[in-house]
Amino acid sequence: MTATLEYVRASRWYGPVIALNDVTTTVGPGVTGLLGPNGAGKSTFLKLAAGQLAPSQGEVRVLGKAAWGSPELFHRVGVCPETDAFWEGLTGLQFLMALLRLTGFDDAECRRRADHALEQVALAEARDRKIGGYSKGMRQRIKMAQSLAHEPQVLLLDEPLSGMDPVNRRRTVDLVKKLGREGRTVLVSSHILHEVEAMTRRVLLIHNGRILAEGDVREIRDLMDEHPHTVALRARDPRALARAVVGAPHVLSLTFGAEGEWVTVQTARPDEFYSAVVDAAVEAGVSEMYSPDENLESVFKYLVAR
Amino acid sequence: MSATPAALGADTRDQDRAVPFFRAARAVFDLSLEGMVWSRRSLLMILLLGLPAPLALLFRIFITRLPSRVSGFDFYGIVIAFYYVRNALPLAALFYATALIADEVEGKTITYLLTRPIQRVSVLAGKFAAYLVTTLALALPAVVLTFFLLTTIRGWSGIGSQVPDLFRDMGAVALTLVTYGAFFTLMGVLLRRPVIPGLLFLFVWELLANAPGYLPRFTITAYLRSLIHHRPPDEGMAEIFAQVLPTALCLEAVGAMIVVFLAGAAWIFSTREYVLDQ
Repeated sequence: MTATLEYVRASRWYGPVIALNDVTTTVGPGVTGLLGPNGAGKSTFLKLAAGQLAPSQGEVRVLGKAAWGSPELFHRVGVCPETDAFWEGLTGLQFLMALLRLTGFDDAECRRRADHALEQVALAEARDRKIGGYSKGMRQRIKMAQSLAHEPQVLLLDEPLSGMDPVNRRRTVDLVKKLGREGRTVLVSSHILHEVEAMTRRVLLIHNGRILAEGDVREIRDLMDEHPHTVALRARDPRALARAVVGAPHVLSLTFGAEGEWVTVQTARPDEFYSAVVDAAVEAGVSEMYSPDENLESVFKYLVAR
Repeated sequence: MSATPAALGADTRDQDRAVPFFRAARAVFDLSLEGMVWSRRSLLMILLLGLPAPLALLFRIFITRLPSRVSGFDFYGIVIAFYYVRNALPLAALFYATALIADEVEGKTITYLLTRPIQRVSVLAGKFAAYLVTTLALALPAVVLTFFLLTTIRGWSGIGSQVPDLFRDMGAVALTLVTYGAFFTLMGVLLRRPVIPGLLFLFVWELLANAPGYLPRFTITAYLRSLIHHRPPDEGMAEIFAQVLPTALCLEAVGAMIVVFLAGAAWIFSTREYVLDQ
């Protein structure tokens, strides 16, 4: 495997806090999942590759160049940040056009690429709406679009599925897989094992700033099955959603949130649950879905204890 | 890796270099200008920078007789030197220029700018240009309007001889915005919360401009107000202008300050990490 991203004894600390601790690893073409609970060091790992942070010690190289202080790399690198931040007054099209101009394309090419990216993330019809009026899922998708509009060789995606509804989650997973099949290096972070598993079998497990394991996601998945998996869903009609899923054998428990729109489900088999919920999601108007990361924490505790 | 999709044109960018400086700065300028012009900050600045124009109109309507020794042109001189150059323009610079990068950091949109193939200095240049265009667009029309409202109180005769002063004043206004803008851009990238130190600088440190001896030379305002050529005729008004430094010295000092402040800001911005809270 040709290494696109190289971490050589890379450490990063913020004052006395070590966010990444003496990491040596490589990432090559295809999709690689960066899996770890919140605070594990995933974002720092990605920001080092994205040239947003300099390593306190060691080296981080992208396509053979030091990631920090090499802006020309961003011709070939796309970054989808975790933060939900935009110039809210811009339309989706204006947002992409502005960032493509900053990537060096002329106006005509910016337009073509912006249109293409909007189609890729299924936002073509919302191109002329202001981002301030987008739903959480649409905001995630426009963020994704800006990262891939210039057709980069390397994509760094920080929690790209966060807040998406099931339909768009599936669509985005398919897009990430397609980008990987095209030979691009896609590093995608998540704290949800199931999400990563849907995109790739190759994972880096990160915990407390260290790479705990690298390899096939199925091995971790087997461990995961021993733990109940929690999924929170926000639905227009939470009772319809509950009716649709509550009888399934893999659903262990179901609770309604205090705010009325949220339903929290515990399932023994996340795969089956996620497949089953897609149909019910449309009917019940599910607009957001996420998995709290306590379960992943428990898997990590389990892994560390072994 | 797969070829570029057929719908897209060939990628002709030189991928081994950052986007050329002026092209990148222009793109940042375009992105920043609209947001800056239509911000709440601009509404406040319209009031601040435009205030002399309606006041001049009221003055013209209600003050029908001026003492013979004082002309409307003298009042205009006070507005330029005391209101604009000493107070309103530095305040406008403080509120816009300290926010050039801080707004992007607070809004967490800085990531989009820092993950593009552009030199960071072009981000700063584009934003500074947007600041200048915005503030000049707000200040210059008000200056021109104030000039004509005040200098024509006794009629239009002799206005031709005063127009060159207007152009010089417009130059001084522009230089004030550039100089204080450069200074506050530096403060904005240097300090996490620059507004209070900026206000202290403007309304405490800059008072040294009225001190005797060489002390005024340690301020920015002493050089800028010396560039205002016309002076009121009587001593009572003249005292607010304090020392007048030679024009050549002022231009050299102001030019040097602009270069040093902007270079410092560019260096700090280019080397600093922006770690955003999640």
